[in-house]
Amino acid sequence: MTLLRVEGVSIQFGGVQAIQDLDFVINPGTIHSIIGPNGAGKTTLLNMITGIYAPSTGAIYLDDVPITGRRPHDLARLGLARTFQNLQIMRTMTALDNVMVGRHLHLNRNLLSCLLRLPSVTRGDRQARKRCVELMESVGLGGYIDAEAGAMPYGALKRLEIARALAAEPKLLLLDEPAAGLNATETKEIDEVIVKVARSGVTVVLVEHDMKLVMGISDHILVLDYGRKLAEGTPEAVRANPAVVAAYLGAVG
Amino acid sequence: MAHNVRPSGYSKFAKKQTYTRRMGTKKNRAQMLLSERGGGLSLLILVILVLPLFLANNYHYDVVVNIGINAIVVVGLNLLIGHAGQISLGHAGFFGLGAYVSAVLTARYGVHGLVALPVGALGVGILAYAIARPVLRLSGHYLAMATLGVGLIIHIVISREAWLTGGPDGMYVPPLEVMGVAVYGGPVWYWIVAGALILAVWLSLNVIDSPVGRALRGLNGSEVAAQAAGVDTTRYKVMVFVLSAVMAAVAGSLAAHFSEFVSPTKASFLQSILFVTMVVLGGMASTFGAVLGAVMLTLLPQVLADFADYEQVILGLIMMAVMIALPKGLVPTLTALVKRWVRRAGS
Repeated sequence: MTLLRVEGVSIQFGGVQAIQDLDFVINPGTIHSIIGPNGAGKTTLLNMITGIYAPSTGAIYLDDVPITGRRPHDLARLGLARTFQNLQIMRTMTALDNVMVGRHLHLNRNLLSCLLRLPSVTRGDRQARKRCVELMESVGLGGYIDAEAGAMPYGALKRLEIARALAAEPKLLLLDEPAAGLNATETKEIDEVIVKVARSGVTVVLVEHDMKLVMGISDHILVLDYGRKLAEGTPEAVRANPAVVAAYLGAVG
Repeated sequence: MAHNVRPSGYSKFAKKQTYTRRMGTKKNRAQMLLSERGGGLSLLILVILVLPLFLANNYHYDVVVNIGINAIVVVGLNLLIGHAGQISLGHAGFFGLGAYVSAVLTARYGVHGLVALPVGALGVGILAYAIARPVLRLSGHYLAMATLGVGLIIHIVISREAWLTGGPDGMYVPPLEVMGVAVYGGPVWYWIVAGALILAVWLSLNVIDSPVGRALRGLNGSEVAAQAAGVDTTRYKVMVFVLSAVMAAVAGSLAAHFSEFVSPTKASFLQSILFVTMVVLGGMASTFGAVLGAVMLTLLPQVLADFADYEQVILGLIMMAVMIALPKGLVPTLTALVKRWVRRAGS
């Protein structure tokens, strides 16, 4: 039983073939990393899985249900959540309200109920607030709960995105370069958060540039280069693969 | 939003206790009075109860009722502009349409005013929905242009279809009747509009502090992040556009029956701009800012009427001065000041 299945997916922008005929599967309960040099198509692939782009050809299945071309908010309903490489924070809202937006699908969002402030709305909000505070504490943001998001440091915002994604209680969490721009200590902290998330039963797809982070925590690695699959397997197998070494170090295999 | 935020004061180590303490205890009295739901709504009701003591004649009532009617429109428009971050330069069109539906149905077809009002609201709601689906795919300047076009078309139709609307000269509207008695005169209308305004403010505060309100601010902050969180952003933009248009239409119907006269100027482009300016002047995303903006911009022209030819110039200068000195608008800037003062006095 696979959680996510990508079959023969390609996409081109103008004349550029960003992803070419890609197949892979993601098993539930694993940390699955997608790595590759800059411009390999990692973020493009993530954007196709989460519905921002529709693939030109091929199909994507979540729990054997075809999701190709579905809109992002529909996919969220099916259990997909993600973070963004270039931060997508609601800057004028508090940190807690950012996470509460992540909880959207679990709340009573009927307009009439909200206009009249029915008890079901306030009760739901109260429970959600409690859960969101817990989530923020679990990613190490306990000190920022009432802070205005726009005033928070970069490293904290990276974690805020993770908390917001987790608030949706997803089956599959896709993290787009969560460690980009962080120093060594912060990277290690993010590492711990990711492992903790995976242990709690959420399947994690990690798009990363930094090989070191990926090797330590991944169960399975997919290496992309120029939009094609270069290698796939356990961290050890990938590390030993001469094609990967060549792509990363420029050696001639 | 009700809590004091001092991000620079937080440290990684002095965490938890701040929040658990706040969740465990009631907010203190000063915080309660400064929150929109607690202090703001009570203050509004207090002002409304006391104000009639200062109203000496029909002219005073006329001005105050018009303030209330404008405030209802602006409170709705603030949800669209201040919270969802979408602009509309056509809301006077919806206001005018509400007014004319009431006028035409009651004057020409003998429909009861209390039936015409919801018919107008519903009709405008349906129209706004039909317009919003294609238009709200646009953003920024393009959205401004499209809504501007909508307002202009409504204005032109009202001005041209003289057989129905009386054309540029406007038309007479019979007074509203409730159980056979004509509702007539400033004092009665004062309480009707006051009730409608309090209702509008209450509904607005409710929506703001709900999953819908957070979804609106969320899509304003980052549309792709809101979508990734499951917010159907198009649907929410359409929803708030329709809601604000319906509020404008209801205010328009009230205005028509109150003044017993409608003319196309109510639906003009200038009026649309005035509504938007009220939102910005009072303070974006602040419900009471919207009310204050309506008060200022309805009252000022009356106060400045003595300056005759210079009225518009002085009005413009005042608005420029406020926006330069208080770029976030009146209410957000002032509450931030008071909050800082309370915090200093409390510590």
